[in-house]
Parts: sequence; C-alpha cells; structure tokens
Amino acid sequence: MSDVKLAFVVQKPQYKGETSRLAITHAIAYQTVEILLEDGQTVTPKLCFIGEGVLGLQKGQNAMDLYGITSTESHMKNALLVDLDVLVCKEDLAKYGIPEDAMPNAEEMGADKSIQIVPFTEIQKAVEEAKHVLFF
Amino acid sequence: MKLGVFVSDFTLTTDTLERFKADKLGIILVQNGVYHATTKENGKASSLLDKTPNLYALSEDIQIRGMKDADVDKRVKVVNYGDVVDLIFNEYDKIAWL
Amino acid sequence: MGNLTIGCYPGLVGSMTYDFALKLADAAATKGHKVSIWFSGNATGSVKANQKHLKDYSTGEKYLKALLEKGVEICTCEACTVARGVKKDEGIPGIQWNAMHWYLAKIYSADRVLLIGGE
Repeated sequence: MSDVKLAFVVQKPQYKGETSRLAITHAIAYQTVEILLEDGQTVTPKLCFIGEGVLGLQKGQNAMDLYGITSTESHMKNALLVDLDVLVCKEDLAKYGIPEDAMPNAEEMGADKSIQIVPFTEIQKAVEEAKHVLFF
Repeated sequence: MKLGVFVSDFTLTTDTLERFKADKLGIILVQNGVYHATTKENGKASSLLDKTPNLYALSEDIQIRGMKDADVDKRVKVVNYGDVVDLIFNEYDKIAWL
Repeated sequence: MGNLTIGCYPGLVGSMTYDFALKLADAAATKGHKVSIWFSGNATGSVKANQKHLKDYSTGEKYLKALLEKGVEICTCEACTVARGVKKDEGIPGIQWNAMHWYLAKIYSADRVLLIGGE
C-alpha cells in the first residue's frame, strides 16, 4: 500500500490556452489510474490555483453554448465529484477582486467536497507534502 | 524541500518564485530564460540572479542566440543537457517548469 | 539510475519548448536513466508519421524514433490526438496511445517529474 501525493499548481488563466484546463482533467484521471497500478498503489493530486490561475473559475460560465466546449466550471464540479481537494488562493482572489462566493460548488450534484479557499501558506504546505509538483 | 526551477522566459516569473519557499532553490535558465544571465537591461543585471546562489544556464540555448558562454554573468554556471540531468537527479527532489 | 517522467504539452511547430523536452529526454536516456514522455495538448500533433523536415521548422519524427530505440517510453493522449485529426494508424510506430491515467501511472513510479506546460 502506498500513495504518491502530487501538487498540481495552476498559475495560468483559463480559456486562452488549454494548459490550465488540462491540469483539472489530468487530476480527475487519478480516479482510473488503478487499472495501470498494482493493488494498493494510488496517486492523490491536490489541485491548487494561484496567481492568474484563479481567473476563470467563477460560476455562471457559458463555454458550451458559445464555443462548444466544456466549461472550467463544469470541470471543477467534476473534480469535486470525484473527491479531489481543490485549493484556491485566498490572497489572489482578493487581489483580483473576485468574491469568494463566486466559486462554484457541486453540492446539487451530490459532491461531498467543496472548493477550499485557503491562504497561500496552505498551498505551500501542499507543495511541500507532495512527492512531485506540476506547474500548469 | 529542494526545488529546482526552470525559467524559460525573459519576462520575470518572480511572483511564483518569491512565494514558494524552499530550503534549497536552484534556477535553471533555458530558452529565453538565458537572457537573465547574459543581458543587462538599462545596464542592470536581472534581479532573478539575486534570488539564489544556485544558478545555471543552458549552453546550447546561449549559443543558439548568438551569445557566448563568456557573456554569462559570473554568478551563473553554464551547463549542458547532461549536467541538467545530473542537477535534476542529484541536487533537487522536486523540479518545476514555470 | 533514476526514473524521469516528462509531461510535454507544447506544439512541435511554433515552439522550441518541445525540442527542449526531447533533448532533455535524450540526455537522461544516454546517461542510463529510465525515461518516459507523455504528450498532451498540442504536443500530440507530433506523433503523426511521415513528417517532412523543412529546415525552418522543428521536426519530431526522427528524434522520437531515436528515443524509442534508446528505450524511452512515449505515449500520446488519445483524446488530444484524435481531436487534432490524427488517426491511430497514421501514428509513428512504437508510440503508445492511452488516456491521462497513463501519465499518472508513470508518475507513480518516477523519481523525478517535469511537466512542461503548453501554450
């Protein structure tokens, strides 16, 4: 039995490029990695949003109607549904004037977890605790 | 945490670099990041070079831009790809591409 | 010897970051390290065979084949690849096609992980 902790740190804003979105979908893939690992082996990513990475997380996105793609909001909800820890930097939300209650949640879909708005020190801790850190 | 960071742009990514604390920080300048080691903007060396004594710049990326290893700030060690591999495995336990 | 997993997301043409990823992989494999590369995003366009090497553009195919011969494992994100119009039977032989969990599984056993984000 062993678990490898990972920190996915998203510092690029959503939508212009796909890298920040790929961070979320790669993290969600932790759910099916067991088919390629031995019994008891797991990976556990924490999704951390800092800097400009906190841009484009707000509720009310309309990406499917406008561009025919899944919104970051939907990806975030899916991440919560599969029990990922999602950390958003409190200082950076404040820096860009984004209210904390603008963050989406997936309660109506039955998710047990919510986005955690945390001071940067918590994200530093996640990076330190991880075996590997991946910057998106 | 011993963190090795690749910097590939000349525009500063200091915000992220300044925020994450590491017991040992290494900065590996590659691609346009090598300008931090070779170029003095308005006569002043890049402030990135003050962040850690562990500074490296990739020789191939210096030479492709028409500069020489001799143009590199004395604080920066010029390395090749093989040296970068050794840095990754021997000097840092986590590596990041900013 | 160590185990290095590289995630490579930038496109082959239009960015030299892709070239960096392959050169680093080659240097690590030459030193005897076990290396695996995961292509996602625009990097997946590079797995199509029969690339014409024009001198104004980076080329991937001959370097990818050389890495495969050195024992480097290379895998492309199937969804990202087909989204770019590349079919599996058009791919460079030896390159695996799989989903994102392939990358996470390689990370599980890696000593070092370098994710090189894309555009």
